[in-house]
Amino acid sequence: MNWSFIPSHISDIWQYTRDTAQLGVLSALFGLVISLPLGIAAARWRWFYPPALTVVNVLYAIPAIALFIVLIPSLGLTDTNVTVALTLYSLCVIFPNVVAGLHAVPDSVRQSATAMGYGALRRLVQVELPLAVPVIIAGLRVAMVSSISLSSIGQLIGVYSLGYYFIDGYQRAFPTEIYIGLVLIIALAVICDLVLVGVRRVLTPWMARS
Amino acid sequence: MITFEAVTKRYPDGTIAVDALDLEIPAGKTVVLVGPSGCGKTTSLRMINRLVEPTEGRVLLDGQDVRAANPARLRRGIGYVIQQTGLFPHRTVQDNIATVPLLNGWSRAKARGRARELLDLVGLDAALARRYPYQLSGGQQQRVGVARALAADPPVLLMDEPFSAVDPLVRASLQDQLITLQTELHKTIVLVTHDIEEAIKVGDLVALYKPEGRLAQFGTPERLLGAPADDYVAGFVGFDRGIRRLSFFPAAGLDLSAGPLLGADAIVAKAQATGEPWILVVNGGKPRGWVPQARLAALPGDMPLEQVPADGFGHTFLAGSGSLRAALDAAVISPAGQAIGVDEDGRVVGVATFDELRAAIQAADQAADCAADQAADRAADQAATQKADQKADQAPDKAAGEPAEKPGAWP
Repeated sequence: MNWSFIPSHISDIWQYTRDTAQLGVLSALFGLVISLPLGIAAARWRWFYPPALTVVNVLYAIPAIALFIVLIPSLGLTDTNVTVALTLYSLCVIFPNVVAGLHAVPDSVRQSATAMGYGALRRLVQVELPLAVPVIIAGLRVAMVSSISLSSIGQLIGVYSLGYYFIDGYQRAFPTEIYIGLVLIIALAVICDLVLVGVRRVLTPWMARS
Repeated sequence: MITFEAVTKRYPDGTIAVDALDLEIPAGKTVVLVGPSGCGKTTSLRMINRLVEPTEGRVLLDGQDVRAANPARLRRGIGYVIQQTGLFPHRTVQDNIATVPLLNGWSRAKARGRARELLDLVGLDAALARRYPYQLSGGQQQRVGVARALAADPPVLLMDEPFSAVDPLVRASLQDQLITLQTELHKTIVLVTHDIEEAIKVGDLVALYKPEGRLAQFGTPERLLGAPADDYVAGFVGFDRGIRRLSFFPAAGLDLSAGPLLGADAIVAKAQATGEPWILVVNGGKPRGWVPQARLAALPGDMPLEQVPADGFGHTFLAGSGSLRAALDAAVISPAGQAIGVDEDGRVVGVATFDELRAAIQAADQAADCAADQAADRAADQAATQKADQKADQAPDKAAGEPAEKPGAWP
């Protein structure tokens, strides 16, 4: 471990860390934005769920590097390419959780909301989605951590992130870079996860603290 | 008023939940739908607020077919309470209660003010207003459920097994509260239960269902107990219906005797002089206990009764407002076989023996039969008059085509 590498490259380290955070966080959030309507549709029209789930699972089975290459003709060697690929992967975790969260709303609650005069849309927005928040955020946490970790593979098509240090460190037989990349990716994942735990706490003051 | 007109609910698989139900639920009364599980009572209830739509027939609310109304608007005018409470876990108690006022477009402040009024009405502490449902006991949650149903002051309240999930003590107190609330609010309440005791306790009228959605009997609890329509009803209301029916007979008609009553300062000799087999020792107006004559024989004649060990008296009944059932129970449980009647302050008014109880029960029974006969006669008279009128109206038409009915077919 060459400690002097850190102060001399601090601005590069900061830049790659930000790139990684941006790729990982944006992909997970886009995944959430797409999963919400898909999940709501799948919870409402049950026939839609099995085929939709198969599609997102098949997407997840595509190796990351292959997916990047498939996207090159349309999106090039860009951040967008990696973000789109990671967004597709995150669907596989978030989408089923949206459906599970909505299904987990107790029938008695749904029924009493209807009986009190909620229309379907208002019931969804004011009752069902708020109650699905814990399960949806559980999915978002997994998606965010895995997107942050996977974003490093984007380096193979030249999209900069902390992944740079794995490739460069390997090629130059310089383990310091590999350690730095590893520690920062894990730290970033842990921080994002804690933020999401905090968000969930703020959104669900009604849950019993265990 | 809620009217079921030949309402049938048939599911696509052919199951019949409700079969040609005709039922009239008068405004301002508590009507209990009771029966075994799967008899269609809950389905009937849900057809009132359109959670279930009938296959045939109509449900009318104050003369209007409920299917003519916008479902959401209809439901905001009908309170709904269910066994699992259905409270919104993500809302505080006050916001749960304020649900329908908020849906009706009230300001949040006004709706919360209303919520606090209702907390008070259902007997909950205002400190609970900001709690979440998971922080409440089952009984408290159920009270919040009732408060939420009443928030927009709907004329109709539907309750589906509202008290089935709580323990017996809490259930009894919730039932008592519902009865008290109803004496103030005069809502049209339709309550579903499988518990015939609950039906008899809270219902002004009871509709007893048979399996497959048919009505076995509809009437006052007293009629169900006193004059079951058939063996099914008799079996459902239970073997001790004769005794339970006494709940509806007031104890005020009992002839109470003061014979065995003596103050705690009276002496043994005086007790022996009464000739009563049991002496009720009274201390400051309150019953202290029963003393058998045999126990006094060995004691000095000048000993005050307060020094004589007394047997417990079980419990008493309210001479003014209690029922004959309470009086009979007090007699059965008393070592002396005599029921102690007390006033509202617990002061002894007198005692009743089994003989006196039997006489009072017979008298009440005859009075009830007489009243029921009169009611039945009145109903029959009315029906006959109506039919006669209809017949008169239709007579010209009928004369043309159909053969006239035989003379003497009408009483």
